[in-house]
Amino acid sequence: MKASRKHKVSALRIGTIWLLLAILLVVLSLVAINVGSAGYSVREIVDAVFSAEKSTVKVVVMNLRLPRLILALLIGASLSSSGAILQSVMRNPLADPGTIGVSAGAGTAATTILLLFPHMTNAVPLFAFAGAALACFLIYTMAWKGGVDPTRIILSGVAINSVLGAYNALLQMLHSDSLEGVLAFMNGSLSGRSWSHVRVLVIYAGAGLLLSFLCIKSANTLQLGDEMAKSLGVNVSVTRVLLSAVSAFLAAATVSVAGMIGFVGLVVPHISRILVGSDYKQMLPTSMLLGSVVLLAADTLGRTIVPGMEIPVGIVMSVTGGPFFLYLLRKRGKMRGN
Amino acid sequence: MEIRGEQLKIGYGDFTVINNMDITVQAGRITSIIGPNGSGKSTVLKALTRLLAYKSGAVYVDGRDLRDFSSKELARNIGVLPQIHSAPPDFQVRELVGYGRMPYQKWYERNDAEDDRIIDWAMRSTGVWELREKSIHECSGGESQRVWIATVLTQQPEILFLDEPTTYLDIAHQLEMMQLIRRLNRENGIGVVMVLHDLSQALEVSDWIVVIKDGEKYAEGAPEDVITPKMMKEVYDVDCSIIRVPGRGKPLIAYHEI
Repeated sequence: MKASRKHKVSALRIGTIWLLLAILLVVLSLVAINVGSAGYSVREIVDAVFSAEKSTVKVVVMNLRLPRLILALLIGASLSSSGAILQSVMRNPLADPGTIGVSAGAGTAATTILLLFPHMTNAVPLFAFAGAALACFLIYTMAWKGGVDPTRIILSGVAINSVLGAYNALLQMLHSDSLEGVLAFMNGSLSGRSWSHVRVLVIYAGAGLLLSFLCIKSANTLQLGDEMAKSLGVNVSVTRVLLSAVSAFLAAATVSVAGMIGFVGLVVPHISRILVGSDYKQMLPTSMLLGSVVLLAADTLGRTIVPGMEIPVGIVMSVTGGPFFLYLLRKRGKMRGN
Repeated sequence: MEIRGEQLKIGYGDFTVINNMDITVQAGRITSIIGPNGSGKSTVLKALTRLLAYKSGAVYVDGRDLRDFSSKELARNIGVLPQIHSAPPDFQVRELVGYGRMPYQKWYERNDAEDDRIIDWAMRSTGVWELREKSIHECSGGESQRVWIATVLTQQPEILFLDEPTTYLDIAHQLEMMQLIRRLNRENGIGVVMVLHDLSQALEVSDWIVVIKDGEKYAEGAPEDVITPKMMKEVYDVDCSIIRVPGRGKPLIAYHEI
């Protein structure tokens, strides 16, 4: 793997990184609660939240900003965890939930509902989840040949993603006048999400995140290579499928609530690897924390940078994250003297 | 323990490497599988250890069908070091060696005191104890190969299968590896089955040698009975003499001048 480190990352260093991320998370959360299109002072917010009467300030903070904050944290952690697990399944640093069809499947389902059955718009999350699961299942079925190997999963993913992508494009062309909903879905946004979304995601993401902690040992052994893992008594194909299922579940849960948010699942695990090394015992929790930080920062930025307008978190993510990641790659290259 | 392959037909896809082979390996001794490139040495090793499914025939471990073993049960009986293995370079040596305990653990279990004791024993037996705090990245080629041996040793196997354990090592580390393998066998009674390219080393450390040529077993037996000028000519198309040097227990292979 690329994340080579000169020295073993000490427990102290990992502790420090986790502490810093946690502090960052708290600070960002306070900022996210505090800023927004309706400008309230800290004093006003504190007074309103802790008073018994129902003021506008309290409604905005408690019913708009707080649920959105919680969603950002959960989605960031889920997508990062999903990507991290998938990268061990594929033994490929380029794997992300899109690789196993989660995005394309959810996109296909959502586009179909939004454009062909607009009266069922309320059920989009449900269909998006089902679509994601179905596409993932299809890709693994196609890739199965006495077992799954990463190359076949990736290739069959490419094929199925392209078919679904073509279908989506065609559908959008035929309905080019009513694309607003589709675009919002495709560019992942947390705008207008409420407690009902939080309630759904807490259950799904909570379960998924707990499950991903159970994947740590398997993810580590897959990093040793298929033959080595097999000779250690690991059933490699079954492990791959189980880990992929956890990963797809997490990604699908976020897609159904917030639409497609790219980049987090791909890049956050990388940055975590740079920070704490490739042992999933440290890397996975770091990814979750960092994912929350990154998504919350992006969402807060997106809803405040242009007054009176919201930039979807998915777009902010890609625009800011891409260059930052390139910077990291180059900087690391220099450190290792190449 | 005895692992017996009967009428094995092995290959990849439509391509058959081994057509019909009977082969038996035993615990307690060092068996080397030798043969030219592409003769099917590694393929046989993989079939005997279930890393590769055979097309027909059967493999029995002490009379029990290899396919009846669960993955973990098999891993408690045999340890395999494949030719290609890699760990993320920042993995700690002790951590990696610890993975050898996985066959003894349920998925939720962690290493207990007994596991730790065995991990320590394996690290000491392979001389990597001093490296335990280092990362794989910091180990030399010879050191990291010993770390991998320690990992499979931690499985407490009766037979250790090694696929070309000395490839990519310089001569000092090759000899060191051979000494280690022989010590593990003599002192701990661990059976070793290895694919080797270096015939001098095979001649020196093996108790038993199996020669494979074009997917067929050409010969097997004690090293000095098998490694002969005739075999070298017929299998490798190489001319040589087997010479004895006073004061040296095993003979040497003297290749004819180039």
